[in-house]
Amino acid sequence: MIPDRLDITWIVLIGLALATILVPPLVPRPLFANALLLTLAALKGRRIVLDFLDLRAAPALWRGLVSAWILVVVLFAWLASAVVVLI
Amino acid sequence: MSAADCEQQETGWGILEDLPGDPMIWVLIFSELAAFGLFLGAFIVARAIHPAMFAAGQATLDAHLAGLNTIVLVTSGWAAARGTAAARAGDKRAARGWLLGAMALGGVFIAIKLFEYAGEIGQGIGLETSSFFTLYFLLTGFHLLHVGLGIVILAVVSRGAEAAGVETGTAFWHMVDLLWIVMFPIIYLVQP
Repeated sequence: MIPDRLDITWIVLIGLALATILVPPLVPRPLFANALLLTLAALKGRRIVLDFLDLRAAPALWRGLVSAWILVVVLFAWLASAVVVLI
Repeated sequence: MSAADCEQQETGWGILEDLPGDPMIWVLIFSELAAFGLFLGAFIVARAIHPAMFAAGQATLDAHLAGLNTIVLVTSGWAAARGTAAARAGDKRAARGWLLGAMALGGVFIAIKLFEYAGEIGQGIGLETSSFFTLYFLLTGFHLLHVGLGIVILAVVSRGAEAAGVETGTAFWHMVDLLWIVMFPIIYLVQP
């Protein structure tokens, strides 16, 4: 059986989830570790939005709105943690 | 007035109708994203104010169990998406099978989360231990309730296994998945 887009998205998500767990022990500097963790979260979220929530074919407004939610939350989390680390 | 205009007036959902499933579920999804976004924002601000307390609280959590739950929920989302594809193709039997798999994995998620809670409560940790744990239990507990509600919704739509119903139910399920994907690193892994 040839894997389709859903199968590939699932495999990518599993890979990104495993990579997420490996970040804290492998990246000791909080600023970079947090950036990497939150980037991985945004990538996973984007795949879910496009392929599982099936917004790939939906109007750009809705795709953009849900993607913007992910971006705002992860950026806010990173900026807040960066402020604490840098102060 | 054109026939298209008449149809638009009859349904009344406007551009929400371009989304998969019932437009009403999208009103709920956008409301939930806004609510969880604010809740996560409160968690992030509280951590910036009390970094030491949040670091100590986070150190007692089991990130590996939560990571396992991420894999469980992502796999459940994949099964739900396969169920939607089967329902769209008119294969109701396959759709029910995939949705049953998604619900079972949702049950596994709940079991793992309850096991994790039991371990924390066994250490004497509770809602009032610190601000970290108040927000941790409220956020993850609120999410867990949504997992339970999602399983009920999937059970309801899997009975008829009609494409529109399955699209509606799985849209809610994928939102629950998306919320966890964002919550997991923020609560368990991001270092204050």
